[in-house]
Amino acid sequence: MSRTALIAATMLTATTGALIGADAPIPKPAPQKIDGLVRWVYDYEQGRQLARKTGRPMFVVFRCER
Amino acid sequence: MNGVNLDLFQFEYDLTWMSFFMDADHRIYTRYGGRDDSDPESHLNRESLLDAMRLSLALHKMDDAPRRRANPKREPGRTPEQIPTMTTMMAKRKNKCIHCHDVKVATLKHLRNQGRLERDMVFTYPTPANLGLVVDARRQTRIKSVGKDSPATEAGIQPGDLIDQVAGRQVRTFGDVSSILNSLPASGRLNLTVRRDGRETPVTLDLPAGWKRTTDPSWRESLHVVGPNCGLWGRKLNGKERQRLKLSSDKLALKVTFIWGPHTRKAGIRVGDVIVSLDGQTRNMNIKQLHAHPMLHRDWGDTIPVTIRRGNRTLDVRMTFPRTPPN
Repeated sequence: MSRTALIAATMLTATTGALIGADAPIPKPAPQKIDGLVRWVYDYEQGRQLARKTGRPMFVVFRCER
Repeated sequence: MNGVNLDLFQFEYDLTWMSFFMDADHRIYTRYGGRDDSDPESHLNRESLLDAMRLSLALHKMDDAPRRRANPKREPGRTPEQIPTMTTMMAKRKNKCIHCHDVKVATLKHLRNQGRLERDMVFTYPTPANLGLVVDARRQTRIKSVGKDSPATEAGIQPGDLIDQVAGRQVRTFGDVSSILNSLPASGRLNLTVRRDGRETPVTLDLPAGWKRTTDPSWRESLHVVGPNCGLWGRKLNGKERQRLKLSSDKLALKVTFIWGPHTRKAGIRVGDVIVSLDGQTRNMNIKQLHAHPMLHRDWGDTIPVTIRRGNRTLDVRMTFPRTPPN
Protein backbone atom coordinates (compact mmCIF):
# COMPACT_ATOMS: atom_id res chain seq x y z
CA MET A 1 0.00 0.00 0.00
CA SER A 2 1.29 3.42 -0.73
CA ARG A 3 0.17 6.78 0.49
CA THR A 4 -3.39 7.58 1.22
CA ALA A 5 -5.07 10.53 -0.37
CA LEU A 6 -8.24 12.37 0.40
CA ILE A 7 -9.91 13.63 -2.68
CA ALA A 8 -12.97 15.75 -3.07
CA ALA A 9 -14.63 16.59 -6.32
CA THR A 10 -17.78 18.41 -7.15
CA MET A 11 -20.11 16.09 -8.96
CA LEU A 12 -21.32 16.47 -12.45
CA THR A 13 -24.96 17.34 -12.57
CA ALA A 14 -25.73 14.40 -14.79
CA THR A 15 -24.31 10.91 -15.00
CA THR A 16 -24.66 8.39 -17.76
CA GLY A 17 -24.06 4.71 -18.15
CA ALA A 18 -25.82 1.67 -19.45
CA LEU A 19 -27.27 -0.65 -16.85
CA ILE A 20 -26.42 -4.31 -17.17
CA GLY A 21 -28.75 -7.20 -16.38
CA ALA A 22 -28.80 -8.02 -12.68
CA ASP A 23 -27.38 -11.51 -13.03
CA ALA A 24 -24.70 -10.84 -15.63
CA PRO A 25 -21.10 -11.05 -14.36
CA ILE A 26 -19.77 -7.69 -13.29
CA PRO A 27 -17.14 -6.45 -15.72
CA LYS A 28 -14.03 -5.25 -13.92
CA PRO A 29 -12.32 -2.49 -15.89
CA ALA A 30 -8.56 -2.30 -15.89
CA PRO A 31 -7.03 0.46 -13.75
CA GLN A 32 -7.28 3.75 -15.61
CA LYS A 33 -5.64 7.08 -15.18
CA ILE A 34 -8.24 9.57 -14.08
CA ASP A 35 -6.00 12.59 -13.99
CA GLY A 36 -7.20 15.13 -16.49
CA LEU A 37 -10.70 13.68 -16.66
CA VAL A 38 -11.79 14.75 -13.20
CA ARG A 39 -10.58 17.86 -11.46
CA TRP A 40 -9.80 16.40 -8.04
CA VAL A 41 -9.32 18.66 -5.07
CA TYR A 42 -6.82 17.23 -2.59
CA ASP A 43 -8.03 19.26 0.35
CA TYR A 44 -11.37 18.74 2.05
CA GLU A 45 -11.82 22.36 3.10
CA GLN A 46 -11.10 23.57 -0.42
CA GLY A 47 -13.60 21.01 -1.67
CA ARG A 48 -16.20 22.32 0.74
CA GLN A 49 -15.63 25.88 -0.38
CA LEU A 50 -15.99 24.84 -4.01
CA ALA A 51 -19.17 22.89 -3.20
CA ARG A 52 -20.63 25.89 -1.43
CA LYS A 53 -19.66 28.23 -4.24
CA THR A 54 -21.08 26.04 -6.98
CA GLY A 55 -24.05 24.68 -5.02
CA ARG A 56 -23.03 21.14 -5.87
CA PRO A 57 -22.57 18.10 -3.62
CA MET A 58 -19.17 16.59 -2.95
CA PHE A 59 -17.80 13.16 -3.79
CA VAL A 60 -15.15 12.58 -1.12
CA VAL A 61 -12.81 9.67 -1.76
CA PHE A 62 -10.23 8.01 0.48
CA ARG A 63 -7.93 5.72 -1.45
CA CYS A 64 -4.57 4.01 -1.36
CA GLU A 65 -2.63 4.97 -4.46
CA ARG A 66 -1.54 2.06 -6.62
CA MET B 1 -5.33 10.64 6.62
CA ASN B 2 -3.18 13.42 8.05
CA GLY B 3 -5.44 15.95 9.76
CA VAL B 4 -8.65 14.20 8.69
CA ASN B 5 -11.62 14.68 11.00
CA LEU B 6 -12.21 11.19 12.39
CA ASP B 7 -15.51 12.17 13.98
CA LEU B 8 -16.82 13.00 10.54
CA PHE B 9 -15.14 10.36 8.42
CA GLN B 10 -15.81 7.10 10.18
CA PHE B 11 -15.38 4.05 7.99
CA GLU B 12 -13.57 0.72 7.74
CA TYR B 13 -9.99 1.93 7.91
CA ASP B 14 -8.71 -1.46 6.71
CA LEU B 15 -10.18 -0.66 3.29
CA THR B 16 -8.09 0.62 0.40
CA TRP B 17 -10.98 2.70 -1.01
CA MET B 18 -14.01 4.40 0.50
CA SER B 19 -16.16 7.35 -0.49
CA PHE B 20 -18.84 9.69 0.79
CA PHE B 21 -21.42 11.84 -0.96
CA MET B 22 -21.86 14.99 1.08
CA ASP B 23 -22.88 18.59 1.09
CA ALA B 24 -20.78 21.58 2.09
CA ASP B 25 -22.13 21.42 5.65
CA HIS B 26 -20.56 18.00 6.38
CA ARG B 27 -23.88 16.23 5.86
CA ILE B 28 -23.59 12.76 4.39
CA TYR B 29 -26.10 11.67 1.76
CA THR B 30 -24.71 8.19 1.35
CA ARG B 31 -21.55 6.12 1.79
CA TYR B 32 -20.14 4.18 -1.12
CA GLY B 33 -17.56 1.44 -0.60
CA GLY B 34 -16.86 -1.67 1.38
CA ARG B 35 -15.84 -5.20 0.55
CA ASP B 36 -16.26 -8.83 1.48
CA ASP B 37 -13.43 -11.18 2.43
CA SER B 38 -12.89 -12.47 -1.09
CA ASP B 39 -12.32 -9.33 -3.15
CA PRO B 40 -11.35 -5.72 -2.38
CA GLU B 41 -13.62 -4.59 -5.20
CA SER B 42 -16.52 -6.96 -4.49
CA HIS B 43 -18.99 -4.08 -4.10
CA LEU B 44 -17.38 -1.43 -6.28
CA ASN B 45 -18.82 -1.22 -9.77
CA ARG B 46 -20.01 1.31 -12.29
CA GLU B 47 -23.74 0.65 -11.91
CA SER B 48 -23.95 1.03 -8.16
CA LEU B 49 -21.65 4.05 -8.18
CA LEU B 50 -23.85 5.76 -10.75
CA ASP B 51 -26.90 4.90 -8.66
CA ALA B 52 -25.29 6.46 -5.61
CA MET B 53 -24.39 9.56 -7.63
CA ARG B 54 -27.89 9.96 -9.03
CA LEU B 55 -29.45 9.48 -5.63
CA SER B 56 -27.11 11.96 -3.98
CA LEU B 57 -27.82 14.54 -6.67
CA ALA B 58 -31.55 14.05 -6.17
CA LEU B 59 -31.22 14.41 -2.40
CA HIS B 60 -29.08 17.48 -2.84
CA LYS B 61 -31.78 19.15 -4.87
CA MET B 62 -34.40 18.52 -2.19
CA ASP B 63 -34.69 21.26 0.41
CA ASP B 64 -36.06 18.83 2.96
CA ALA B 65 -33.65 16.04 2.11
CA PRO B 66 -33.69 13.32 4.76
CA ARG B 67 -30.08 13.89 5.63
CA ARG B 68 -28.35 14.29 8.92
CA ARG B 69 -27.94 17.71 10.43
CA ALA B 70 -24.40 18.96 10.72
CA ASN B 71 -23.01 18.08 14.11
CA PRO B 72 -21.13 21.03 15.62
CA LYS B 73 -18.91 18.59 17.49
CA ARG B 74 -17.57 17.45 14.15
CA GLU B 75 -15.59 20.65 13.88
CA PRO B 76 -12.70 20.51 14.44
CA GLY B 77 -13.06 16.86 15.53
CA ARG B 78 -10.50 14.24 16.45
CA THR B 79 -7.60 13.66 14.08
CA PRO B 80 -5.36 10.61 13.57
CA GLU B 81 -2.43 12.53 15.04
CA GLN B 82 -4.25 12.63 18.40
CA ILE B 83 -4.28 8.84 18.79
CA PRO B 84 -1.58 8.34 21.46
CA THR B 85 0.27 5.52 19.69
CA MET B 86 0.35 7.31 16.32
CA THR B 87 3.38 9.46 17.22
CA THR B 88 5.56 6.39 17.88
CA MET B 89 4.32 4.69 14.72
CA MET B 90 5.01 7.67 12.51
CA ALA B 91 8.40 8.41 14.08
CA LYS B 92 9.76 5.25 12.44
CA ARG B 93 8.67 6.34 8.97
CA LYS B 94 10.44 8.45 6.41
CA ASN B 95 7.17 9.11 4.66
CA LYS B 96 4.87 10.85 7.13
CA CYS B 97 1.65 10.03 5.31
CA ILE B 98 -0.85 8.41 7.66
CA HIS B 99 -2.61 5.59 5.80
CA CYS B 100 -6.22 4.67 6.44
CA HIS B 101 -5.21 1.41 8.12
CA ASP B 102 -2.78 3.30 10.37
CA VAL B 103 -5.79 4.85 12.09
CA LYS B 104 -7.18 1.47 13.04
CA VAL B 105 -3.77 -0.01 13.89
CA ALA B 106 -2.94 2.92 16.17
CA THR B 107 -6.36 2.75 17.82
CA LEU B 108 -6.06 -1.00 18.50
CA LYS B 109 -2.50 -0.55 19.80
CA HIS B 110 -3.71 2.15 22.16
CA LEU B 111 -6.42 -0.18 23.45
CA ARG B 112 -3.85 -2.94 23.82
CA ASN B 113 -1.58 -0.65 25.85
CA GLN B 114 -4.53 0.07 28.10
CA GLY B 115 -5.33 -3.63 28.48
CA ARG B 116 -8.69 -3.15 26.78
CA LEU B 117 -8.01 -4.86 23.45
CA GLU B 118 -10.26 -7.75 22.46
CA ARG B 119 -9.60 -9.83 19.36
CA ASP B 120 -13.06 -9.28 17.95
CA MET B 121 -12.35 -5.56 17.73
CA VAL B 122 -10.59 -6.24 14.45
CA PHE B 123 -13.94 -7.24 12.91
CA THR B 124 -15.29 -3.77 12.28
CA TYR B 125 -17.88 -2.74 9.68
CA PRO B 126 -19.50 -6.16 9.18
CA THR B 127 -21.21 -6.74 5.87
CA PRO B 128 -24.92 -7.59 5.58
CA ALA B 129 -23.81 -11.09 4.49
CA ASN B 130 -22.72 -11.67 8.10
CA LEU B 131 -26.44 -11.91 8.86
CA GLY B 132 -27.24 -13.89 5.72
CA LEU B 133 -28.30 -10.82 3.74
CA VAL B 134 -26.41 -11.28 0.49
CA VAL B 135 -27.05 -8.11 -1.49
CA ASP B 136 -26.68 -7.53 -5.21
CA ALA B 137 -23.34 -5.80 -5.81
CA ARG B 138 -24.96 -3.52 -8.38
CA ARG B 139 -28.29 -2.73 -6.76
CA GLN B 140 -26.97 -2.76 -3.26
CA THR B 141 -30.17 -2.76 -1.23
CA ARG B 142 -31.63 -5.69 -3.20
CA ILE B 143 -31.36 -9.12 -1.57
CA LYS B 144 -29.72 -11.43 -4.07
CA SER B 145 -29.79 -14.52 -1.88
CA VAL B 146 -30.24 -15.48 1.74
CA GLY B 147 -27.63 -17.41 3.69
CA LYS B 148 -28.61 -20.93 4.73
CA ASP B 149 -29.50 -21.23 8.44
CA SER B 150 -28.79 -17.51 8.86
CA PRO B 151 -30.64 -14.86 10.90
CA ALA B 152 -32.03 -13.57 7.58
CA THR B 153 -33.55 -16.95 6.75
CA GLU B 154 -35.06 -17.27 10.20
CA ALA B 155 -36.57 -13.80 9.85
CA GLY B 156 -38.22 -14.77 6.56
CA ILE B 157 -36.26 -12.47 4.29
CA GLN B 158 -36.51 -13.45 0.64
CA PRO B 159 -34.45 -12.90 -2.49
CA GLY B 160 -35.75 -9.80 -4.26
CA ASP B 161 -36.60 -7.95 -1.04
CA LEU B 162 -35.29 -4.41 -0.93
CA ILE B 163 -33.72 -3.23 2.31
CA ASP B 164 -35.25 0.14 3.07
CA GLN B 165 -34.26 0.84 6.67
CA VAL B 166 -31.79 -0.69 9.09
CA ALA B 167 -32.31 0.05 12.79
CA GLY B 168 -34.68 2.83 11.78
CA ARG B 169 -32.25 4.54 9.41
CA GLN B 170 -32.67 4.84 5.67
CA VAL B 171 -30.05 2.96 3.66
CA ARG B 172 -29.09 3.33 0.03
CA THR B 173 -25.86 1.40 -0.38
CA PHE B 174 -23.82 -1.51 0.91
CA GLY B 175 -21.67 1.09 2.69
CA ASP B 176 -24.70 2.57 4.46
CA VAL B 177 -25.78 -0.84 5.75
CA SER B 178 -22.27 -1.75 6.87
CA SER B 179 -21.91 1.55 8.71
CA ILE B 180 -25.07 0.93 10.73
CA LEU B 181 -24.16 -2.70 11.43
CA ASN B 182 -20.85 -1.48 12.82
CA SER B 183 -22.68 0.45 15.51
CA LEU B 184 -24.71 -2.56 16.69
CA PRO B 185 -23.88 -4.63 19.79
CA ALA B 186 -22.20 -8.04 19.80
CA SER B 187 -25.57 -9.71 20.30
CA GLY B 188 -29.21 -8.69 20.42
CA ARG B 189 -31.85 -7.96 17.81
CA LEU B 190 -32.02 -5.81 14.71
CA ASN B 191 -35.09 -4.24 13.14
CA LEU B 192 -35.19 -3.92 9.38
CA THR B 193 -37.78 -2.57 7.02
CA VAL B 194 -37.81 -4.31 3.67
CA ARG B 195 -39.87 -3.54 0.60
CA ARG B 196 -41.57 -6.60 -0.91
CA ASP B 197 -43.99 -6.34 -3.81
CA GLY B 198 -44.10 -2.59 -3.26
CA ARG B 199 -45.10 -2.88 0.40
CA GLU B 200 -43.04 -2.07 3.45
CA THR B 201 -42.52 -5.07 5.72
CA PRO B 202 -40.95 -4.86 9.19
CA VAL B 203 -38.58 -7.70 10.00
CA THR B 204 -36.58 -8.53 13.12
CA LEU B 205 -33.29 -10.40 12.98
CA ASP B 206 -31.43 -12.05 15.83
CA LEU B 207 -27.79 -11.05 16.21
CA PRO B 208 -26.11 -14.26 17.32
CA ALA B 209 -22.89 -14.25 19.35
CA GLY B 210 -19.88 -13.66 17.09
CA TRP B 211 -21.99 -12.36 14.22
CA LYS B 212 -19.41 -9.70 13.31
CA ARG B 213 -16.72 -12.30 12.63
CA THR B 214 -15.90 -13.52 9.13
CA THR B 215 -14.05 -16.62 7.98
CA ASP B 216 -11.13 -14.99 6.18
CA PRO B 217 -10.10 -11.62 7.61
CA SER B 218 -6.52 -12.04 6.34
CA TRP B 219 -6.90 -8.95 4.13
CA ARG B 220 -7.22 -6.74 7.21
CA GLU B 221 -4.01 -4.83 7.76
CA SER B 222 -4.90 -4.26 11.42
CA LEU B 223 -5.00 -7.98 12.14
CA HIS B 224 -1.36 -8.04 13.23
CA VAL B 225 -2.18 -6.00 16.32
CA VAL B 226 -4.43 -8.63 17.91
CA GLY B 227 -2.05 -11.60 17.87
CA PRO B 228 1.43 -12.92 17.04
CA ASN B 229 2.71 -13.57 13.54
CA CYS B 230 5.00 -16.24 12.13
CA GLY B 231 7.87 -13.85 11.37
CA LEU B 232 8.28 -14.94 7.78
CA TRP B 233 7.11 -14.29 4.25
CA GLY B 234 6.48 -16.89 1.60
CA ARG B 235 4.72 -17.93 -1.57
CA LYS B 236 2.55 -20.83 -2.61
CA LEU B 237 4.31 -23.61 -4.47
CA ASN B 238 3.38 -23.94 -8.12
CA GLY B 239 2.06 -27.15 -9.64
CA LYS B 240 5.44 -28.56 -10.67
CA GLU B 241 6.97 -27.84 -7.28
CA ARG B 242 4.06 -29.57 -5.59
CA GLN B 243 4.42 -32.60 -7.87
CA ARG B 244 8.10 -32.86 -7.06
CA LEU B 245 7.36 -32.89 -3.33
CA LYS B 246 4.21 -35.02 -3.77
CA LEU B 247 1.99 -32.39 -2.15
CA SER B 248 -1.64 -32.27 -3.31
CA SER B 249 -3.14 -28.99 -4.50
CA ASP B 250 -5.57 -28.69 -1.58
CA LYS B 251 -2.83 -28.84 1.03
CA LEU B 252 -0.67 -26.15 2.59
CA ALA B 253 2.61 -25.65 0.74
CA LEU B 254 4.27 -22.29 1.33
CA LYS B 255 7.89 -21.72 0.41
CA VAL B 256 9.66 -19.40 2.85
CA THR B 257 11.17 -16.47 0.96
CA PHE B 258 12.07 -14.10 3.80
CA ILE B 259 12.43 -14.32 7.56
CA TRP B 260 12.26 -11.33 9.88
CA GLY B 261 11.26 -12.91 13.19
CA PRO B 262 13.97 -13.96 15.66
CA HIS B 263 11.46 -16.52 16.98
CA THR B 264 11.20 -17.99 13.47
CA ARG B 265 14.97 -18.42 13.17
CA LYS B 266 15.11 -19.79 16.70
CA ALA B 267 12.57 -22.43 15.65
CA GLY B 268 15.07 -23.54 13.01
CA ILE B 269 13.07 -22.42 9.99
CA ARG B 270 15.16 -21.31 7.00
CA VAL B 271 14.56 -19.50 3.72
CA GLY B 272 13.70 -22.16 1.13
CA ASP B 273 11.86 -24.42 3.57
CA VAL B 274 8.31 -25.39 2.61
CA ILE B 275 5.72 -25.10 5.38
CA VAL B 276 3.21 -27.95 5.13
CA SER B 277 1.57 -27.67 8.55
CA LEU B 278 1.32 -24.86 11.08
CA ASP B 279 -0.39 -25.39 14.41
CA GLY B 280 -2.39 -28.25 12.88
CA GLN B 281 -3.48 -26.19 9.87
CA THR B 282 -2.84 -28.09 6.63
CA ARG B 283 -5.32 -26.60 4.16
CA ASN B 284 -4.03 -24.70 1.15
CA MET B 285 -3.67 -21.01 1.96
CA ASN B 286 -1.65 -17.96 1.09
CA ILE B 287 0.86 -16.28 3.37
CA LYS B 288 -1.62 -13.74 4.74
CA GLN B 289 -4.05 -16.51 5.61
CA LEU B 290 -1.23 -18.39 7.30
CA HIS B 291 -0.41 -15.37 9.47
CA ALA B 292 -4.08 -14.84 10.29
CA HIS B 293 -4.29 -18.18 12.09
CA PRO B 294 -1.98 -17.40 15.04
CA MET B 295 -3.11 -13.77 15.06
CA LEU B 296 -6.67 -14.91 15.69
CA HIS B 297 -6.12 -18.09 17.70
CA ARG B 298 -2.83 -17.86 19.60
CA ASP B 299 -1.40 -15.58 22.25
CA TRP B 300 1.98 -13.93 22.65
CA GLY B 301 4.32 -16.45 24.32
CA ASP B 302 2.45 -19.50 22.97
CA THR B 303 4.35 -22.36 21.34
CA ILE B 304 3.01 -24.02 18.21
CA PRO B 305 4.13 -27.03 16.12
CA VAL B 306 5.29 -26.42 12.54
CA THR B 307 6.07 -29.07 9.94
CA ILE B 308 8.41 -28.18 7.12
CA ARG B 309 9.83 -29.90 4.07
CA ARG B 310 13.52 -29.26 3.47
CA GLY B 311 14.63 -31.07 0.36
CA ASN B 312 13.44 -34.63 0.79
CA ARG B 313 13.28 -34.40 4.54
CA THR B 314 10.24 -33.65 6.72
CA LEU B 315 11.06 -31.78 9.91
CA ASP B 316 8.85 -31.05 12.91
CA VAL B 317 9.84 -27.90 14.77
CA ARG B 318 8.29 -25.77 17.48
CA MET B 319 7.90 -22.01 17.27
CA THR B 320 7.53 -19.91 20.40
CA PHE B 321 6.10 -16.44 19.83
CA PRO B 322 7.61 -13.44 21.63
CA ARG B 323 6.12 -12.88 25.07
CA THR B 324 5.08 -9.33 24.29
CA PRO B 325 4.04 -7.62 21.07
CA PRO B 326 6.41 -5.13 19.45
CA ASN B 327 5.68 -1.46 20.00
